[in-house]
Amino acid sequence: MLARCIPCLLGGVILTWTVAAQEPVVPTLTPTIITATKQVTLFTGLEKQILQAVQKKDKAGLEAMLTEDFEIAMPHADAVAGEDWLDSVLAKDFTLRTFVISQMSVVDLGDYAVVKYERGQQATLKGKAYDGEFFVVDLWKKSGDSWKLANRYVAKIPGVANIKAKARPTGKE
Amino acid sequence: MCTFRKVSLALTMVFVIVASSALMAQSILNHREAQRGEKVVPNGDGSVSLVPDNDAKPAVVTGNGINYNGGPVLQGNPVPIYLIWYGNWNASGSNTAATVSLVEHYVNSLGNTPYEKINSTYGDTTGNVSGNVTLGGAIFDTGSQGTRLNNNRLSAIVTRSFSNGLPTDPNGVYFVLTSSNVSERGFCSSFCGFHTRQTLNGTDIKWAFVGNPDRCPSGCEIQTTGPNSPATGVGGADGLINVLTHEQEEAISDPDLNAWFDNSGQENADKCNFNFGTTSTCNGSNGCTPAGASAGAKFNQTFGGNDWMIQQNWENANGGGCVQHFP
Repeated sequence: MLARCIPCLLGGVILTWTVAAQEPVVPTLTPTIITATKQVTLFTGLEKQILQAVQKKDKAGLEAMLTEDFEIAMPHADAVAGEDWLDSVLAKDFTLRTFVISQMSVVDLGDYAVVKYERGQQATLKGKAYDGEFFVVDLWKKSGDSWKLANRYVAKIPGVANIKAKARPTGKE
Repeated sequence: MCTFRKVSLALTMVFVIVASSALMAQSILNHREAQRGEKVVPNGDGSVSLVPDNDAKPAVVTGNGINYNGGPVLQGNPVPIYLIWYGNWNASGSNTAATVSLVEHYVNSLGNTPYEKINSTYGDTTGNVSGNVTLGGAIFDTGSQGTRLNNNRLSAIVTRSFSNGLPTDPNGVYFVLTSSNVSERGFCSSFCGFHTRQTLNGTDIKWAFVGNPDRCPSGCEIQTTGPNSPATGVGGADGLINVLTHEQEEAISDPDLNAWFDNSGQENADKCNFNFGTTSTCNGSNGCTPAGASAGAKFNQTFGGNDWMIQQNWENANGGGCVQHFP
């Protein structure tokens, strides 16, 4: 008789745990959908232009958006000069298939702007997948009525191999 | 084995009954299938008729550059807008009673305008957005959560409003409007406002945050002097109205964040963010303030006795696009 009741008791305990687990301790906030600032709108467009130029192997288009002394810094590596970076992204063995820009914020300093964002990408380098998410900090410099990319700091976010193809922008989480 | 045979026999009988029923139904209806908006009514002699189905769910219009993702819209006629004036709105610049009065007048004037009717192009399977809004109530909170806010503190401000005069309304939209001395994580560097939903007081509450753009004019203000500026260089009220407009459009057409957005996740107003379309210039003969007229401020809407500068909204009709009015 007791043996017959054990499954019922276990079921009851599990059900109680499940119900208790569903009770929110703190009200859950659904992701927020933001109204981007003017600068976020502007620099999202400019960052997309650069990535689209990489996709099209548009050397002239890229050069027009970079300062002459543009360079990229990464963790545990020497800084890469602009020309070397151009050579690497324009090389035939690198293909940027898709990208997603998210979590952007911009600090407007007048003639300069510090732009922080996360970039997910699906790419191929020397025949191997080069997917992942990257944390990027760009320094943009005003140039007349436009902006040029002066400096970039980029680091791969560990443990994130794939990007979501249709990521819903949440702005901040 | 005996039990197995009984089960097999029972299953066979069930199959035969279902199959014959389906065949009968098919033969009765074989002259024409019921279309959307029709239903089948038996005539009592084995035949059926097709009659209009008054209970039929309306079709959701798609194919205009924005997708319907299955969630509800707010169909209130009107949808109540609740304002929580947070911080010090009795100070200087645009943090004044004049701004409070202007924004409340704006919300009360917005309902059923051709501009707000753009939102009526959005619906769910039970009906469309009305395009009507009204000021449901407004209260002041002079700083219950301090001047450095985050999402949890904003939630607390909304919750507190329920015991300070605002109803707990699942069909309205609550706005926390902060004075320019109040910070919110991400405000000005990433966003000018946001909307979300949250279960508060056991109710699905739609709420939004909009900060006074005078905290970051270059990021969130449209122009330094707007059509309703009380003085030159005080454009916060017009900027705030623009962001509030953006958020209420989205909170009504995508209240639970599962109704209307495009392939890249952009909601209707996102697709026209800071896109104003054709504008006019304030002068002494229109509804702008003297400061607005003097500065030649731009505006693109006129209603409620004022001129306004508010972004366009994406219409879910005519192929889609950023427009200033519907139809």
